[in-house]
Amino acid sequence: MEGRTGDDASLVDRLRRGDPRAFEELVIAYQHRVFGVALRMLGSRAEADELAQEVFLRVHRAVAEFRGDAKLSTWLYAIASRLCLNRLTSGERRMAREGEETLARLASGHASPADELERSELEAALHRAIAELSDERRIVVVLRDLEGLSYEEIAAALELQLGTVRSRLHRARMDLKEKLERFLS
Amino acid sequence: MTCHDAREAFSALVDGALGADERAALDGHLATCAECRRELQRFRDTVALLRGAAPVRAPAGFVDRVLEAARPAPWPRRLLRGLFLPWPVKLPIEAAAIVLVTVGVVYVYRATPELQQSVRLGPTSPAVTEKPRLTPEPSAPSSSPEKNQPQEQDKAGRSMEKKMAAPPPAARDEASRRAADLRDASPDAGRQKEAGRPAPAAPPVGGKVEAPPVRAGREPEVAQERARARAAPVPESRADAPRAQRPATGPSGVLSSVPPDVSGRLAVSDRAAALRGLAELVARLGAVESRRVDASDATLVELTIPREAYPELARQLGRLGRWQPSQEPAALPVQVRVVLRITG
Repeated sequence: MEGRTGDDASLVDRLRRGDPRAFEELVIAYQHRVFGVALRMLGSRAEADELAQEVFLRVHRAVAEFRGDAKLSTWLYAIASRLCLNRLTSGERRMAREGEETLARLASGHASPADELERSELEAALHRAIAELSDERRIVVVLRDLEGLSYEEIAAALELQLGTVRSRLHRARMDLKEKLERFLS
Repeated sequence: MTCHDAREAFSALVDGALGADERAALDGHLATCAECRRELQRFRDTVALLRGAAPVRAPAGFVDRVLEAARPAPWPRRLLRGLFLPWPVKLPIEAAAIVLVTVGVVYVYRATPELQQSVRLGPTSPAVTEKPRLTPEPSAPSSSPEKNQPQEQDKAGRSMEKKMAAPPPAARDEASRRAADLRDASPDAGRQKEAGRPAPAAPPVGGKVEAPPVRAGREPEVAQERARARAAPVPESRADAPRAQRPATGPSGVLSSVPPDVSGRLAVSDRAAALRGLAELVARLGAVESRRVDASDATLVELTIPREAYPELARQLGRLGRWQPSQEPAALPVQVRVVLRITG
């Protein structure tokens, strides 16, 4: 497992001392990643916004308990993943809304209109396919292929064995390959 | 290596997690299996698609909202939040606690005679008795008996009232207080009270004495009777009532302001003889007769007797006539106040 980087260590130390500027830096640095995990897991921008805020508030309250034997980012991903999975299984979650605007906004703005249309369709299909994965497979593929975590980091964040991470990731990718067959060459 | 084994290794291959031996075996299989090569290409494209997905950005203002939410709330809000949130949990618990405390207080009050006694003594203080003095007592002796048209079934009670009104003004207040007690013990008590409120029990005409229960019963009527008993000694605290005219300090002076501990009817064939026998009993058993009211059909006698002598009194009453106690609690006070309705 990778340890903390120098920047992380400094940031954590300042957070523990109650430096308000340090917390702001943390939120600025990790807001998109935490929000991205929440959005891809929950499928709703409103819910993702609420949950991502909760992630940072928990970090703010519990930074003194951070052991420092993992990267700060892994700790954040662990909190975000746990909150997402809890919410998805708690039943309190609002029903996922059809046609969530999220999918369209993921398209790039640099392509030609024709390319953009095609890309939007592909992106929509991709995120629909991700959303159709089971929760436990989806979180693994999100952390690996969308957020770029290593197997070890995923295992630490989700408190899983490495073999379980590998297996779930492979199953998730195979599922996605089947669902996206028509877009593949 | 089979096709299945080869495809199971795709993820590790894409992530560069295959060992050298596994990689060699997979390459060997792919070199001879076109279908697995196509599958691997589709697998790589899928992963590339995932990794090429547009990054998600947090909405504008997200950082500010988080920083605002992380700012500690003012202490009054934190206190209120601690006391009442989450309200679906804490409010019912707090309401239940209030109810439990209330029930506990009422239970302790009812189970503790000393507390009840102290409440009974309360009206003797001027501050408490001031208010009842302003309220005319419906059946007090000061109200003119002529205004009330006597009815046959009320005759005994009303004749008692007239007798109670007879003493001079100095003793009138005490007499009215006693009369209130005795009225409470008589079957006419309910009729003398305000309309619509029933007597504690519905005795037959000229029937047994119905004294309100003091310790044995816990029904709501008990509380009403206690309230009436407390309201009865209105004139007792009047400043113009000479203290010398009041009974000597003793248990009867206090107990007479409350319903009797024991009451009942003593049916005899010769009332005068029974009264003489009762007087002997009173003297022999160390009792004190504190009040006597004669009527045409009954005589009410109020006496106070030590608790240890009460059983003997009850036995001897059975010899004087037919003794039917209507109120005889198991637990008696040290000084037992007894009201007898002697008929015959």
